[in-house]
Amino acid sequence: MANSPKKVQNPKPSSVLIDPVYSSMITLLILVMACIEICDAVTVVDVYRLVQYDIGGVPFGSRLASLNHHAGSSFFSSSSGAAADLSRTVLILPVRELNLTFIKEYITHRKPLGGLLLLLPPAFSLNSESVGGAHHDSAKDLMKEVLVELEQLLIHANTPVSETITFFGFNRLHLHLFMSDVESRIKFSINPIMYLLMEYICFRYKLVVAVPEPKKVASPTIANIQGWLPGLKADGDSNQLPTIAIVASYDTFGAAPALSVGSDSNGSGVVALLEIARLFSILYSNPKTRGRYNLLFGLTSGGPYNYNGTYKWLRSLDQRQRETIDYAICLNSVGSFNNDLWIHVSKPPENAYIKQIFEGLSNVAEELGLKVGLKHKKINISNTRVAWEHEQFSRLRVTAATLSELSVAPELLQNTGGLSDNRHFVDEALISRSVKLVAESLARHIYDLKGKDINIFADNSSLAVNPSYIRSWLDLLSRTPRVAPFLSKTDPIIMALKKELADHTIEVNVQQEVLDGMFTFYDSTTGRLHIYQVASVTFDLLLLLVLGSYLIVLFSFLVITTRGLDDLISLFRRPPSRKVKTA
Amino acid sequence: MTMFHFFNCAILTFGPHAVYYSATPLSEYDTLGTSIKAAVVYLITALVKLVCLATFLNVSESDSFDPYQELLKALIGFVDVAGLYFALTQLTHRNISQYHKFQAVGLGWAFADSVLHRLAPLWVGARGLEFTWDYIFQGLEANANLVLSLSLAALGSLMWLRKNKPKTLIPIIYVCAGIVATMPSITSYLRRGLGWHLTKIVGFELFTSLVMAFISWQLFAACQKPSN
Repeated sequence: MANSPKKVQNPKPSSVLIDPVYSSMITLLILVMACIEICDAVTVVDVYRLVQYDIGGVPFGSRLASLNHHAGSSFFSSSSGAAADLSRTVLILPVRELNLTFIKEYITHRKPLGGLLLLLPPAFSLNSESVGGAHHDSAKDLMKEVLVELEQLLIHANTPVSETITFFGFNRLHLHLFMSDVESRIKFSINPIMYLLMEYICFRYKLVVAVPEPKKVASPTIANIQGWLPGLKADGDSNQLPTIAIVASYDTFGAAPALSVGSDSNGSGVVALLEIARLFSILYSNPKTRGRYNLLFGLTSGGPYNYNGTYKWLRSLDQRQRETIDYAICLNSVGSFNNDLWIHVSKPPENAYIKQIFEGLSNVAEELGLKVGLKHKKINISNTRVAWEHEQFSRLRVTAATLSELSVAPELLQNTGGLSDNRHFVDEALISRSVKLVAESLARHIYDLKGKDINIFADNSSLAVNPSYIRSWLDLLSRTPRVAPFLSKTDPIIMALKKELADHTIEVNVQQEVLDGMFTFYDSTTGRLHIYQVASVTFDLLLLLVLGSYLIVLFSFLVITTRGLDDLISLFRRPPSRKVKTA
Repeated sequence: MTMFHFFNCAILTFGPHAVYYSATPLSEYDTLGTSIKAAVVYLITALVKLVCLATFLNVSESDSFDPYQELLKALIGFVDVAGLYFALTQLTHRNISQYHKFQAVGLGWAFADSVLHRLAPLWVGARGLEFTWDYIFQGLEANANLVLSLSLAALGSLMWLRKNKPKTLIPIIYVCAGIVATMPSITSYLRRGLGWHLTKIVGFELFTSLVMAFISWQLFAACQKPSN
């Protein structure tokens, strides 16, 4: 080969410096694992394994964990390269130029594939700059659609994909160089002679990911956090005060558990709940403004798994307490809508309570310039699928409704805050409006202000919705992956949410439960990918040949110059002459 | 497979020494003892150089070329020459002709240099999965170093062991010896000051070592004629 193999930039052992702005193309310096192993790879990248789980014993997602194959590029996904055997190749595909039909084909036709590495744009990384969702650009929206489809495809993929290992990584600058190198080599090797050269003599890239054998997560815990804000009991009133519950589920699920931050589903709901709690705690701190309703705030877990956490939480509540609940409002994805919100109910719309809730919300919505629609979905008791959180309440005959920007009930493991649900797609201004909507309508109900033209949480008042509070909590949640089985009992985010609720409410409880047996999860979600440039055995043999001949030539040269040519010839003639002598 | 690569680089680095020993009459005259003594002297010299460097040199953070530091390094490099002088003149050798003495000393010197400077990086680095050309270049450098050591030993023996030399050749001998002795400084200047790529440097080293070897061979042959 004429050109010497290009060396991808060697990482220097220094501190981690993550590039926040992709467009400025600053190279990423990676921390070398120097203390344990001498990392002599060309590149070391953090990769995230596709989630591995079972539903009722049926395996889904990635089964294998370690990877040790040669690199292949997206060229194979095109038609001319489709016939190649990829059972010992890892395909590296940037999501930006992904050919979804190719992946679908691989899954449906069960073709063998050594591994799959999907490269996400750096803008989707956890530490990227937090830009509000106001800057919608069509490229990002398109990317989001592709990611959503890809994620659904991979999550629900059965056995074929499970025999290959799928990883997600981020497409940083040095990976670009590496990939263009791989691409050019593959294109070069269409010619069979060049292919032989490439295969056997030249250098190939080998991708190694060493991940510990995935083990079942023994008893995945879900932690429900509840906060209780008692109302004002009038003297001499022995009856229990009615309660209003505000609930949001905070955990997520996605194709890459370590990347599932769920900014909209349901980070926006959690942030809205915390802000509402804060506002009402200000109102309830003064006995003069304390309402005659108790407020129960619930941050539930187990949302993607048919709202298992909500189910367990409701059953743990004292029955009398449960009976005092007037109604419950569940928040689900309120961060990226276009002036349209939906209230989903399971009781028929003619029901008096439902009408009351709906009217209260739509009156406030009108003032805020939003449109609120009502959607009714009957519950089927025999069906285990619980699409909305309020259905868990309705099964216990508690009036409840879900406020959401989604108009259609999501399927199992859909809209659960996966890869595509990123900080970029959430607008904190919209969350503020949702907060105002809910808080205002709640307050009007609690303080019986129907018909009066009073705006309690007006802007520029002491009870105004605080945008920086929303933004900081949203940023925190967008940096924290929250897949429930992988959160420990005392995970920092759970502790943080508990502390925050404790600040705003009088009594806080954390309830730890075990996730129901239908779902099983396996760990080993992240790993490090080492990309080595390796020479084939043929190269080493050739080198040995060259060196051997060099040494022989050197030997002969030295013998000839120092002892003379005759000596060299005599070296080869000695054995026969001895034989002659002895004979 | 990577042990294979290590093996390849090892024979490139150390093979020529063994070949030189067996090919030339050195093996017939059993000059192994001389070579070993020269190797030991080299080790002691290296130790002395290390101590001097540690005492007098301040390590700079950047990789740039600092003339003052390089000058100091060159001066300390002359400790090398002193060591070679010691090995050639002061050690008692068996009765071998000068012609073979300088070869044995040069060989032992170069072998010790290769082992000290190149064996450890080779063992640690070449066995890894990742392939780099570095170790092959290192082997080529070892070859060039062998030739340079031999020429330096030849010139040294001319300077210190041979009593009657043609007057005209003496300054040339000293100049050539000086060039060969300062070769390490020259290469480091090229690498750091001019920023030459590794391939160019290795090529330069090989070329100059061959040239210097040829020159010293001619000088040696020229000095040999009158004394017979």
